[in-house]
Amino acid sequence: MQHFPIHWDRTWFDTFQTLLEQDMHWSTWERFQLAIEAAEALVVPNFDTLLSLQQIHGFVPLPHQIEVVHRVMGEMRGRAILADEVGLGKTIEAGLILKEYLIRGLVKNALILVPSSLVLQWTRELNQKFQIPAVAQKKEWMWDRYPILVASMDTAKREPHRNHILNKNYDILIIDEAHKLKNRRTKNWQFINEIKKKYCLLLTATPIQNELEELYNLVTLLKPGQLGRQSHFQNEYVAGKRKAKNEEQLREEIQRVLIRNRRRDQNLHLTKRVVQTIPIELSPEERALYEAVTEFVRNRYSQATDLKSMLSLLVLQKEVCSSRDAVFHTLFKLFQRGEQGKESLSPEVAHLVDLLRQVTISSKVQKAVELIKTIPDKVIIFTEYRATQEMLIRALAKEKIHAIPYRGGFNRNKKDWMMELFQKRAQVMVATEAGGEGINLQFCHHIINYDMPWNPMRVEQRIGRVHRLGQKNDVHIYNFATKNTIEEHIIWLLQEKINLFETVIGELETILDDLEKEESIEQSMMRIVLEANDHEQIRERLSEWGDKFTQKKQVVIEKKQEQEGLLYGSAKG
Amino acid sequence: MDQQKVRSFTERYLKSYECHIIESAPTYLQTQLSIEADKDLLNRPFYWMYVERMNLPPQPARFCFIFDPENCPEDLRGEYLFFGSPRFAQMLQSAQKHGRFTRLYQQPSSRESLSRVSKAYTPWLGMNFQVSYICDQKKDRITYLGINLCTGEIVEPFYPTIRSLGWTSKLPPKRHVTAPRLSFAEAVGELEYFLQEQIEGEDPTWAVEAKKRLEMELDTLAHYYPEQEQRTEEQEKERVQRQRELIWQYHPRIEVQLINGGLFYMEQPAKQLSLKVYDAEG
Repeated sequence: MQHFPIHWDRTWFDTFQTLLEQDMHWSTWERFQLAIEAAEALVVPNFDTLLSLQQIHGFVPLPHQIEVVHRVMGEMRGRAILADEVGLGKTIEAGLILKEYLIRGLVKNALILVPSSLVLQWTRELNQKFQIPAVAQKKEWMWDRYPILVASMDTAKREPHRNHILNKNYDILIIDEAHKLKNRRTKNWQFINEIKKKYCLLLTATPIQNELEELYNLVTLLKPGQLGRQSHFQNEYVAGKRKAKNEEQLREEIQRVLIRNRRRDQNLHLTKRVVQTIPIELSPEERALYEAVTEFVRNRYSQATDLKSMLSLLVLQKEVCSSRDAVFHTLFKLFQRGEQGKESLSPEVAHLVDLLRQVTISSKVQKAVELIKTIPDKVIIFTEYRATQEMLIRALAKEKIHAIPYRGGFNRNKKDWMMELFQKRAQVMVATEAGGEGINLQFCHHIINYDMPWNPMRVEQRIGRVHRLGQKNDVHIYNFATKNTIEEHIIWLLQEKINLFETVIGELETILDDLEKEESIEQSMMRIVLEANDHEQIRERLSEWGDKFTQKKQVVIEKKQEQEGLLYGSAKG
Repeated sequence: MDQQKVRSFTERYLKSYECHIIESAPTYLQTQLSIEADKDLLNRPFYWMYVERMNLPPQPARFCFIFDPENCPEDLRGEYLFFGSPRFAQMLQSAQKHGRFTRLYQQPSSRESLSRVSKAYTPWLGMNFQVSYICDQKKDRITYLGINLCTGEIVEPFYPTIRSLGWTSKLPPKRHVTAPRLSFAEAVGELEYFLQEQIEGEDPTWAVEAKKRLEMELDTLAHYYPEQEQRTEEQEKERVQRQRELIWQYHPRIEVQLINGGLFYMEQPAKQLSLKVYDAEG
C-alpha cells in the first residue's frame, strides 16, 4: 500500500535534451562537482537533528532554548504557545524555530506580528542573530514584495493591510505579546483567527492574566478543539474565574500546546547583585543651593494650580540632587516661559542664580571619578539628565577617563556605534536612558546610579540592562546618595523598604500597574515629598507607600502562584 | 560545514567562476569578481541592467571574504563568510544553478602505451536526485544514479565512483564513442522507475505516523464545531479553512528533484569498477 504521493519535478527535462541535441554550453567538471557539493551541504539528513545550530554565529543558545525548539517541532508540530518567564529568551526560541524551518525548506514565507515599539528590534535580531532576511513592514506594497515581514499588530489589522494578509497563506505566523489576544470578542483575536497559516507560535509570559478563559482563547487560535468546545471546557475545567477543576487533566492538555520555562527549573539563576550606597556630603555652597531650591520649590508648589507646572517643580527638586548644570537648565526653561516680557529676573530667581554661580565643584563628580579609578573594569553611569551627562563626560575626559554618551535620541546607527565603542574602547558609558530597546550590556558589571529615578520600574530597567542572562559576574550597584537630601529618603525607600536592588521582583510591572490605578507613581512621590512638613514626615509617608507596595506584591505573588500551579502542577512548583 | 571547508569551497568556486584572487591571507581572501560571480553574489540587478542597456563597459566589483573576523586586520573592509550567512547561501545557490548539466570524456591515463587502435567509450547517463520526505517535518537524501546507455544496467552510487577519475570536455585522440541503444527519454524513464521502486520499498513508518496525526487532528477539529445543520455560514467557512491548514501541515508526500546530470563517456565497463550493479530488468 502506498502511503504518499510522489511528485517528480521534470522541469529540467527539456533543457537537458536540448543541450544533448546541440552538444554545447555544458558545465565544466569542476562546476558540476561544486553543484553536487552545494546540494550535499544543504541536504537535511533527518527529521529531528537541529541544523540551525551549525548555522548561527556569535552566540550559543542555552540548553532550555534548544529543548524548546525540539519540543515545538517534534511534539507540538509547529503550533505552540511559548510562555517562558520574562528574560529567558522567547525571541531566541522563536528565531531558532523559524531558522530551522527555513533551512529545512518547510517555511518560505513568514509573518511576525509584534507591538509597534518592537518591530525594529525584532527585525534587527532576526537579521543579526539568525541571518534571517526579515524586513520591517512600512509600506503597503511591501506585503507582496518580501517573504519574511515583521509588522505591528495595530497596522496589520487595519485596511488596506488586513486584506493583503488575509489573502495570503503563511507558512508560519509568529505573534509576540500574545496575551493581547486573550479576548475572542476583540478585533485582534478575530483578525488573527482569520489568517491562513501552517505553523504558528504565540509568545507571552502571561498566558493567563485574569481568567482561565483567556488561555482557552489562545489555544483556540492554535488548535481549535484541543480543549474541547467552549461549553465542554467550562463544565469540565472551570470552577471559578481563576479556579480550575480536573486540574491534572487540564494541565496535561495545556502542556501539549504550551511550554513554560522558569528560572528555578532551568537553573538559570542570575548572578548576585552587590549593592552599595555611596553617601555624599554636600559642600557648603552646594548645601546652600539645595536648601534654596527646596524652599523655592515648596513655595511655588503651594501656589501652583496645574499638574504640569507641579511636575516640573518636582523635576527641579530631583535635579538639585544631580547637578548644578541640570538645575540651571530647568530654571532657564522655567523662566523663559514664566517671566517672558519682564525686564529682569525676580529677586528669588536671581538669588538662585547667584547661589548656582557659587557652586564650582561638584561633590558627586569628585566621588564618581574617585570610585571609577578604583574599578579596573567597565562602568556604566546612569543619570536622568542630559545636562548632568554632558558635565560628567567633560569631567571624566579631564581625568583622562575615556567615557562615551548614550541616549534615547540617538539614531540606531549611533546607538550601535556607541555600544561597540563602549565594548571595545571606552571604560565608561554615561547613559540617560535604560528602558530603550536593544541595549544589552552583559559585558559590564558595574553600575553607578548617579541620580535615582523615583519610579522603581525605571530603576529595574537600568539594572536589567546589565543583570540578565549571559551576565557571568556578580553585578555591583553603587547608589549615590547625597546626605540629608530627599535623595537619601528615596534610596532608603527603594532599598530598605521595598528591597528593590538585591533581588529581581519578577512581577514588578504588575505590582506598579496595580498601584498606579489610583495615581501615577510620580504624582504620589511628588505629593509625599512636597507636601510633608519635615524629613520625619517624609520618611513616614514613604514608609506607608512602601507598605502598600508590599501588600500589592503579596497579592500579585499569590495570584501568580495559583496560575503557576495550573500551568505546572504543585508537585513541580 | 566548518570554516576550513567554507574557505576551500569558496576558493574552488572563485577559480571555477573565473574570479581573480588579489590577495590570499589565512584570515581572508581579496578578490576581483568575474561578471558572472558579481551577478550571482552581490545583488545589484539594477546596476547590471543599466550597464547592459547603456552598453557601458561592465565593472564587476572587488570583494573581500573574511573567514576569521577575530584575527583579521582591524581596518579590513570585507564580509564575514560562514555556513549560514546569506552570502554563502548565494554562493551555494549559484554553484547549483550553473553546474546542472555536463558531457564529459574520461581522461586516458598518461602511462598508457601508444596503441594504433582506437578505443571505444561507453556512454553513461549519470543523474543525481534529491528525494525529500515531507509532512510536518522534512528530511532529504541524495541518490547518485547512473545508467549504461548501451546495456541499460543501472549503477548506484554512480557519481562517487567516477569522481576520482579524470574528465575532459574534448574527445581525446584515439578514442571513439559507442552509439547508445537507449534514448535519453528511455534512460530517464528507467532511472525514475528504478528510484520509484526503491522509494516504495522503503520503511513507510514516517508517513503512516504523519497520517495518523492528521486523522487525529481532523477528528479533534470535527468535534469542535457544531453539527453540520447547526453551523453558521461563518463557522463553516472557518472549519473548512482550519481543515485545509491541517492537511497542508501534515499530509505526507515525497518530492524528487534533480540536482544535476551528465553524459559520461567511460572507458571501462562498469562491472570492472566493482560497482553495485542492478539488472535493468529486475
